[in-house]
Amino acid sequence: MNRRRFIKSTSAATAGLGLSTAPFILAQKAPFQYRVALIGSGWWGMNILRVALETGRCKAVALCDVDADALEISAEEVNDLAGTKPNTYPDFRELFANEEIDIAIIATPDHWHALPAIEAINAGAHVFLEKPTGHTIRESRSILNAARAADRKVQVGLHRRIGPHHVSGMDFLRSGKVGDIGMVRSFVFNGGGEELPSPNSEPPNSLDWEFYCGPAPLRPFNRKIHPGGFRNFLDFANGTLGDWGIHWLDQVLWWTDEKYPKSVYSTGGRPVKGPAILNDKEQTSDAPDSQVAVFEFESFTATWEHRRFAQNPTEKHKVGTYFYGSNGIFHMGWRDGWTFYPADQKKQIIHEDPNFDDEKAGHNIPGLWTDFFDAIENDRLPVADIEPAHLSTNLSLLGMLSLKHGKSVAWDGSSESIIGDDAANALLQRTYRGPWEYPVI
Amino acid sequence: MKSVPAFLIIFLFTITHALADDWPRWRGPNLDGISTDSSWRAEWPDSDPPLVWKTNVGTGLSGISIANNKVYTIGNNDNTDTVFCLNADTGKEIWTHSYPAALDPKYYEGGPGSTPTVDGDTVFTIGREGQVFSLNAESGEVNWSMNLVADAGLPAPGWGFNGSPLVLDDRLFLNAGTAGVALDKSSGAVIWKSDAEEAGYSSPYPLDRDGKTQLLVSSSRSYSGVDPETGAAAWTFPWLTRYGVNAADPVPIDSNTLFISSGYGKGAALIRLTGTAPEEAWKSKEMGNQMNPCLLIDGYLYGVNGNEDGDPEYKCLAPKTGDILWSDDSTGASGAIAANGYLIILGERGELIIAPASPDEFDPITRIQVLGGKSWTAPSLANGRVYCRNIKGDLVCVDLR
Repeated sequence: MNRRRFIKSTSAATAGLGLSTAPFILAQKAPFQYRVALIGSGWWGMNILRVALETGRCKAVALCDVDADALEISAEEVNDLAGTKPNTYPDFRELFANEEIDIAIIATPDHWHALPAIEAINAGAHVFLEKPTGHTIRESRSILNAARAADRKVQVGLHRRIGPHHVSGMDFLRSGKVGDIGMVRSFVFNGGGEELPSPNSEPPNSLDWEFYCGPAPLRPFNRKIHPGGFRNFLDFANGTLGDWGIHWLDQVLWWTDEKYPKSVYSTGGRPVKGPAILNDKEQTSDAPDSQVAVFEFESFTATWEHRRFAQNPTEKHKVGTYFYGSNGIFHMGWRDGWTFYPADQKKQIIHEDPNFDDEKAGHNIPGLWTDFFDAIENDRLPVADIEPAHLSTNLSLLGMLSLKHGKSVAWDGSSESIIGDDAANALLQRTYRGPWEYPVI
Repeated sequence: MKSVPAFLIIFLFTITHALADDWPRWRGPNLDGISTDSSWRAEWPDSDPPLVWKTNVGTGLSGISIANNKVYTIGNNDNTDTVFCLNADTGKEIWTHSYPAALDPKYYEGGPGSTPTVDGDTVFTIGREGQVFSLNAESGEVNWSMNLVADAGLPAPGWGFNGSPLVLDDRLFLNAGTAGVALDKSSGAVIWKSDAEEAGYSSPYPLDRDGKTQLLVSSSRSYSGVDPETGAAAWTFPWLTRYGVNAADPVPIDSNTLFISSGYGKGAALIRLTGTAPEEAWKSKEMGNQMNPCLLIDGYLYGVNGNEDGDPEYKCLAPKTGDILWSDDSTGASGAIAANGYLIILGERGELIIAPASPDEFDPITRIQVLGGKSWTAPSLANGRVYCRNIKGDLVCVDLR
């Protein structure tokens, strides 16, 4: 089934007809609005939808969530914002079968990215996909292939691709002023300590826990997971590397001309949080509390480092990416903008502050939306297109793969496979829990 | 005095001794956050009021109850909750009662959130995992204990049980399940309980409706009016928030009109109970109480709008219309009580702020830094002294006389 609407021609025709034939009718007609569906109507999904509604160019027609309360409260919020209540669905398949959708926002936990995204594409919708693109590498590849096959645009929520200081920082990096860059280091450090298990409980009545787990193994419900805690559970996400890591590793791939690393090695664990616990009584999260990953490229080496204890009092910059060049050190940061520290200390430090659309949350989602509309209307790739986002996601996922596998992997980026290691290749996908089928496109 | 019979003098003395200007429970003697104490002064132009004592009671949001010159509160250290009974004059420990309890720091520092309730010679407490205790107020001896999860089958909501106990006659009411639970206060036996779903975080409130008491109880998804005799819900008003957090006690504007409010972007509504089902008179995003409820003073509501991580503001609202009359951004996620027509606010950053409660403006006449760190707990006022705590458990007694 393909319900795609002819957006470009529709809006052009409306404008043309409006002037020549029936201005008194068409003048009162609302301007063209994209019919938007949100799959996963939690906190972050609603942030993305809210920004879409604020552009005035979107109408939220349908929401989907496996938590009926999240669905109802989100529908109420849309009604408060836009004056119309969207239709609500517990099952994304039902939504795409019943609604005509121009753009689907996929903001579910990572393990639920691929199937709804592909369903949306096959139903003719463009997709605003939250990062990381997939939970395993071949899910992400399948979304990319499905989008290309159906000629649908996919904008990924990598808002650091459009944030003003990131754009100007990239220009600076490419200007050659940093010199020859031979090493890159991305990192995020937080505080934290030992993690105690929480008791399992019955899932809230409003939550379809079986559907939430979906293709992932069914495990006892725990308050640590929902709402909002899935990022630290490896059945549903990929920990800090899959959450924060992708934003900063994406800066690396944006900068370099290389598309993928030759080899990846990662080590880490839970030395401070303690061993992961999962039994029928209680559980902890299971994502590493500290991790180092090394990505070997042809012309440079990139590292990732995160730690969820000890904070970062010794370092001036708390999060971001350092590019080490022959002329000095360039730091791409978040709230601290970007800064270039020349190796020659007699030279002036160069700095630019950030400029966020949402100062408090520190992001630039509105720019992703206007770019997305323009990409759809002018048939070009959006700024955070699925292909580069897939390649950046791969860095995070290969880091996690190496950590789980316990050894270094040699990566053939052209075929997206690991050289000479069948056990490692098996980790590029996962076995889905029935009736869900792993997407292979 | 000559004409007063002896038995009445004794009676009056007992009452005075017990209640005077005590603050024996969450929201004080009248459950409205307003103290009857007038032995204190609001203005301190020349010198700061003296710090009487300072101690630490462990991590938590538990409020401070004061009765019979004793101070009661709860805190957590090393995954153990401790109920403290302190001498109100010195802050010295009279007794403590401890039990195992996870700190459970989910998005905040953790620790207990309920306030001890003093009822005559008994103090009732509840921990976040549902540990209910009846303790001898003088000695700390355990009269009885029970657990809401293990013994009553009522699930702990996401952040645990945080509502404070309410005593009415011979019953102890707690917020658990869809619309509360009633225990025999002398034995802890369950008299009635509501359905085993997640509770809200407000404390049961006894609303007087035409001489009959209706208990106001929140769940994670609604507010209800319950018959305290049977537990039967006379009405239920659906009230969904993003994380199932209905924490602020409903505030009765009159016996038929309630102000309800939640954080997480939800806001407030005025609901009327006169019809067969509650009706919404108005709804507003401008007063979302994430934790502490509003104070109703001379017909106006005063409270914190917005979440602790979202630039909360202290506001005044006219309940008839929902209009905001003023708004101030200097208090953070504060807690407040009132007395003598003044707001007594403990700011999030440990500042004690005293301002006339006025719909015209917010114009504090006193601002004193009484604590460091972060405070979300409302202060308590009793017998001229104000008691303030921060989340990490520093507790100070300041003499405002």
